[in-house]
Amino acid sequence: MAHELEVFWFSEQPYGHVTEDDLAPYESGRMHFPNTYFDPEKAHVLYSNYHDQYQLADEVGFDGIMSNEHHSSYWCMKPSVNVDAAVITQRTRKAKIAMLGNVIAVNDPVKMAEEIAMLDCISGGRIISGFVRGTAVETLHAGYPPTENRPRFEEAHDLIVKCWTEPGPFRWEGEYWPHRMVNPWVVPIQKPHPPVWFPGTGSPESVIWAAKHRYPYMNLGSLLDLTKQLKGIYHETAAEEGYEAGPEHFGYLIRCLVADTDERAQEIGRTFLWTENHRNRGPMEFNDPPGYQSREALRIKMSRPLIGTGTMGRRMTYEDLQAAYNIIVGSPETVTEKLRHIRRDLEPGYILIYGNEGHMPHEDVMRSVELLGTKVIPALKEG
Amino acid sequence: MTTVQNGSRTTVNVNGTAVEMYSGGNGPPLVFFHGAGGSNGWQPWHEDLATEYTVFVPSQPGFNGTEAPAWVKTISDVAHFNHMFVEALGLQDIVLMGSSMGGWVSAEMAAMDDHNVDALILVDAAGIKPREGEIAEIFMVSSETRLKQRFHDPSQVDNYENYTRELTPEEQLVVHSNAIMASQLCWKPYLHNPSLPHTLSRVDTPTLIVWGNEDAIIPVECGHLFQQAIRGSQLRIIDNCGHSPAVEKRGEFVEAVTSFLDSPQISVF
Repeated sequence: MAHELEVFWFSEQPYGHVTEDDLAPYESGRMHFPNTYFDPEKAHVLYSNYHDQYQLADEVGFDGIMSNEHHSSYWCMKPSVNVDAAVITQRTRKAKIAMLGNVIAVNDPVKMAEEIAMLDCISGGRIISGFVRGTAVETLHAGYPPTENRPRFEEAHDLIVKCWTEPGPFRWEGEYWPHRMVNPWVVPIQKPHPPVWFPGTGSPESVIWAAKHRYPYMNLGSLLDLTKQLKGIYHETAAEEGYEAGPEHFGYLIRCLVADTDERAQEIGRTFLWTENHRNRGPMEFNDPPGYQSREALRIKMSRPLIGTGTMGRRMTYEDLQAAYNIIVGSPETVTEKLRHIRRDLEPGYILIYGNEGHMPHEDVMRSVELLGTKVIPALKEG
Repeated sequence: MTTVQNGSRTTVNVNGTAVEMYSGGNGPPLVFFHGAGGSNGWQPWHEDLATEYTVFVPSQPGFNGTEAPAWVKTISDVAHFNHMFVEALGLQDIVLMGSSMGGWVSAEMAAMDDHNVDALILVDAAGIKPREGEIAEIFMVSSETRLKQRFHDPSQVDNYENYTRELTPEEQLVVHSNAIMASQLCWKPYLHNPSLPHTLSRVDTPTLIVWGNEDAIIPVECGHLFQQAIRGSQLRIIDNCGHSPAVEKRGEFVEAVTSFLDSPQISVF
């Protein structure tokens, strides 16, 4: 049976009150930018807005909501994807909940397995459990050696899957989490376990890892040509593993905003570039501390203008990014046409709408969610 | 010990691992262990010491031309490995010397077993956490910052341009791979072992501790803490000097080392 396109809503939940001037004096946009700029009262209002957007996305027909997690980042107020997912279970009724994902290398995998299973039970089996290595800052902020990220990730993954699929109690004599007894009471409602997704940007290693595990690979907004190359690697790896990859193995995150008119959308959409040069700014050693990733992955990373790419990628203007289909803004008709182009070009099984950024007005984002759900998504699904 | 040409490069088989080593000189054996940046090979100050000693400069596991066996993951693993290295060379009654991370490794080696060590020399050594100050961040900073931290006064450094010039791709690969190993060994606990001040109480080898007074990476306070931890040890502080006295104050450094080794308390010489 052919896989039907699924469209997800995603918001990074930025702390949109931060300005370029605030950030400029500091050595980096993450670890060095002090949390004294954070006002909990303002955050309270923002969280409420973001949760309203979730609820509306569910009501107007999005197939799912995607969430994520970052640390020490003003552009993402979510230090726990599981906490956000818990909110989504209560603010939505039908939408799938894609967590992309838990930074399992720097968390207790047994507790991760328990929490995700709990979310799956609460939501009635709506959870998609993404696992991520995180940016290097996630590992640095958690205080772990960057050299341990990959081996910890691998062990945590294996242990979580075992928690979900093998009856307890069992013994786990791992290198990082040796347990004499593992017996989590709560197990997932979905069998054998919730779907697992794996995201990536420029790293071929990530694509290969996902394909070897037959996990859908979500590309987080790389340029189309690079994305096609990475998708090609997925297909090659799948063939080596003895299966044929299809749209159900591949998703694409795209910055997208819809307004009633092209003019209004162009105006608001500019906010997608909010503080973009500061987000991952800082010593290269933050983005690539010794042992975190291979040189090859870094080289590929340098060639793409990813969301929040800061000084790491090449500079592209708002217009360049639109011409490259990396940002899509416009009326429902304009956006539908452009998303159709991406669909033809990449054949993704999942389109993840990165629909909010910086200080975009809440009411405009709500209108965008409504127009996407009522006009764009139905038109896109028709073909 | 056969006479070797100064600074010649060889490999030594240590239980199946090929260890890259520079060596040269005549006299009693002096083994030097490099810091977290890796080996700089045969240096002018090695040449100075080689007039009286046979100087051995190995690249430690995971650094430069020496592969890391899979089991070597911590500083104490490196210390065990280095003991095997000394045994593989058949060296007796050695002068054990290390700088920075290599000083930490040397201190761990002495704490494990110092019966074969006639003198211990620690140079701006990592390994003990300061009480007042902090050990500077060396991993999450740019290479420019790291270089500024290392030397107090670049005008005191011969061929300083060697430290600032653009590296060849092959050299970059070595630097990167050294950094990965150092990161693996030193990240946590950061450049120290909380047990070390206590395990060093077993050391009764004559010990010299040399420190640059203006060391901006490992504060001179740590030199005092090492002196307190190793009974009978001497502390020699070199003024107007950063983290690498052998490079920045070569003459004073070599004089400090040789006068210590010539002193009557060093039994064998």
